[in-house]
Amino acid sequence: MADVELVGISKAFGPVEACKDVDLRIEDGEFVTLLGPSGCGKTTTLNIIAGLEEATSGEVRIGGRLVNELGPFERDVAMVFQNYALYPHMSVAENIGFTLRLRKRPKSEIAERVSAVAETLELSQLLERLPRELSGGQQQRVALGRALIREPAVFLFDEPFSNLDATLRVRMRGEIKELHQRLGVTSIFVTHDQEEAMSISDRVAIMRLGRVEQVGTPEEVYARPTSTYVARFVGSPQMDILQGRFERTDGENRYRVGEAAFVVPDGAVAAAAGREVDLGIRPEHIQLGAGGTPLMIRVVQPLGPMTYVTTAWDEGGLTARLPGMTAHQPGQVVPVSLAAENVLLFDRESGRRIEWRASHG
Amino acid sequence: MALLAFMVLGLGPVAWGVITSLTPTTALTQTPPDLSLSNFSLDNYVDVLVTRGNLPDALLDSAIVATLTATLSLVLGSVAAYALSRLRVPGSNKILLAVLATQMFPGIVIAIPLFIVFSQLRLVDTYVALAVTNLSFTLVVVIWIMKGFFDAIPPQLERAAAVDGATTLQTFRMVVLPISLPALFASGVFAFIESWNEFFFAIILTRVDIKTAPIAIAEFSGQYQTLYGEMLAAAVLASTPVIVLAIIFRRFIVKGFVEGAVKG
Repeated sequence: MADVELVGISKAFGPVEACKDVDLRIEDGEFVTLLGPSGCGKTTTLNIIAGLEEATSGEVRIGGRLVNELGPFERDVAMVFQNYALYPHMSVAENIGFTLRLRKRPKSEIAERVSAVAETLELSQLLERLPRELSGGQQQRVALGRALIREPAVFLFDEPFSNLDATLRVRMRGEIKELHQRLGVTSIFVTHDQEEAMSISDRVAIMRLGRVEQVGTPEEVYARPTSTYVARFVGSPQMDILQGRFERTDGENRYRVGEAAFVVPDGAVAAAAGREVDLGIRPEHIQLGAGGTPLMIRVVQPLGPMTYVTTAWDEGGLTARLPGMTAHQPGQVVPVSLAAENVLLFDRESGRRIEWRASHG
Repeated sequence: MALLAFMVLGLGPVAWGVITSLTPTTALTQTPPDLSLSNFSLDNYVDVLVTRGNLPDALLDSAIVATLTATLSLVLGSVAAYALSRLRVPGSNKILLAVLATQMFPGIVIAIPLFIVFSQLRLVDTYVALAVTNLSFTLVVVIWIMKGFFDAIPPQLERAAAVDGATTLQTFRMVVLPISLPALFASGVFAFIESWNEFFFAIILTRVDIKTAPIAIAEFSGQYQTLYGEMLAAAVLASTPVIVLAIIFRRFIVKGFVEGAVKG
C-alpha cells in the first residue's frame, strides 16, 4: 500500500512530447483513472509510473520513496496490459506463478498462492490450460491474477477492457471495482472510455496533449469541467456548447444563438463581464415543452429508460435527455428552455470555464 | 493432374537415382542399360561405405560443417534479429537491406578473394573456413526469418516479464526463446541444409584434410569413367539425413516460416 506522486513529469520521444509537466498525487488506497483520447500521453504516464519508460524530467515517488532509478519490479507495482500479455507457452498456473518462480520461492508455496488467487478469480478449473484455450474474459482474469499474486503496493491497468465485448466490459468493470473495495490497493487505470472512467474511479485525471487538464471526482469533472475540452469529453451524449451572445429583451437576460434565444440568470451575464462566452448545457438540463424558444425536433432516439431528443437550427443544436419513452416526433416544433442554474459559461478565447455561481450567484 | 505432373517432375529423378544406386555399374553402362529388378543389389552401398569407404568420413565432415554453420547462424542471427526488432537502432531498415544486398554477389565473384583471405589466415582446408563462408549466406536468411518472428511478438510480453521481476536475460531465456522455438527450428534446419548441400565454396576452400559429401560424390566422376552406381548410392546416403531432418521438424518449419512472414 502506498501513495503515488508525480512531480513535473515530462517525456519526449525525439521531437514529440508525450507528457508535459504532469503533476499528480494519488492517495494511498485511491482508485484514479487517467482519461483521454489516444495520443494524449496517458499510457506513457502509466509506463513512467511502472518504470517501463524513463521520464525525460521530473520525479516519481511511490510510498514517499523516489523511484526514478528503480526498475518496474523494485517499484513494487503490478500491471495489467491492454492485450493481457500472457506468456503463450505457459499454462494459467505458470503464468500466474511466474513472478514467484523468478523469486525462487519453493514450489509448494507457489502452488498454494496460485490456487488461492485462482479461487478469488474463479480460475481454479482452468489452471492447466494454455492462454489460447481461454476466452477473452478468462484471459483477462489470468492477467489480473498475475498482478494479484504479487500483492503489490500499486496496481496499474492499461486499458485492460478494450478487447472485450460491451457486456463483458461492464461485468469486468464491476469485478475490478469490487476487488479494489475489498483489497484497497492504490490503483491507477488508463482508459479512453469516459463511461468506464466515471463508473470505476474515486478520481479522474483528464489528459490532453500530454498535460493533465483536470483532476477531480467523477461528480466534479462532470458538473464543473474546467474547460470545453473536459466538458465535451465527459458525459454521453456530449454536453452541447453553443456559440452566441447575451442580449437583454423584455426585461430578461437571454443568450441568443441565431433564431434561438434562451433565458439566463443575471449572475451569468455579470460573470461574463463583457467577454465573449460560449454556453454549455448538459442533456438532462434541457427542458422541452415548458416554455422557451420554439425549435424543430430532428431526431428522436428512444433507449428505454430514457429518450434522446435532438433539436437543431441553422446556428446550433441541442440534444435533450428525457426520462422514459416520450411521444415526441421528428418535425414537431416544441418550446425549448434551459435549466438556468445549470448553465455553464466558457471563455470563447481560452476555452476555460467561467465560475459564475459562487461569486455572482 | 497438375499434382501428378508435379510429382513426376519432383519425384522422378529421385526414383531414378534410387534405382540407379541399386543397380551394378556394369548393368548400367551396357547398351541398353539393364534396370531389371533381378539385378538389384546393395553392392554400390557396400562399396561407398565399406570397400572404398570414403563416404563416412565425408558425411562426418559435412555434418561438422553444417552443425557449426547452423549453430553460429542461430546464435548470431537471432541476437542480431532481436536487436533489429527491439532496439531503436538508427537506420535499422537500411541495415536489413544491406544485409540482403550481400546476396546480390554471385559466389564466383568472391571465390578468389575469399580463397586469398583464408590462405593468408592459414584457414584453407579447415572446418572454420567452410562454416564462416556458409554463414555469409545462411545468416542473411536467419536474420530475416527471426526478425519477422520477433516483430510479431507483442512487446508487452517483455514488459510484463519486466514487471514480474525478470532480468533482460531471464526475459530472453524464459519468455522470448521458448516462444521462438518454431522459428529457431525452421531457420536452423534451413541453415543446416544449405550448408550440407554447399558445393562451390567447398571445392575451392578444401583440399585433403576435409572433404564434404558433395565433393566426395562428385569424385565418382573421373577422367576415364563415371561410377554412376556408386555415385548415386552416395547421393542417396547423403540426402537421407536432411530429408529425415526436414520430416521431423516439418511442423516447426512450416509454422516458423508462416509466423515469420506475418510481418516482414
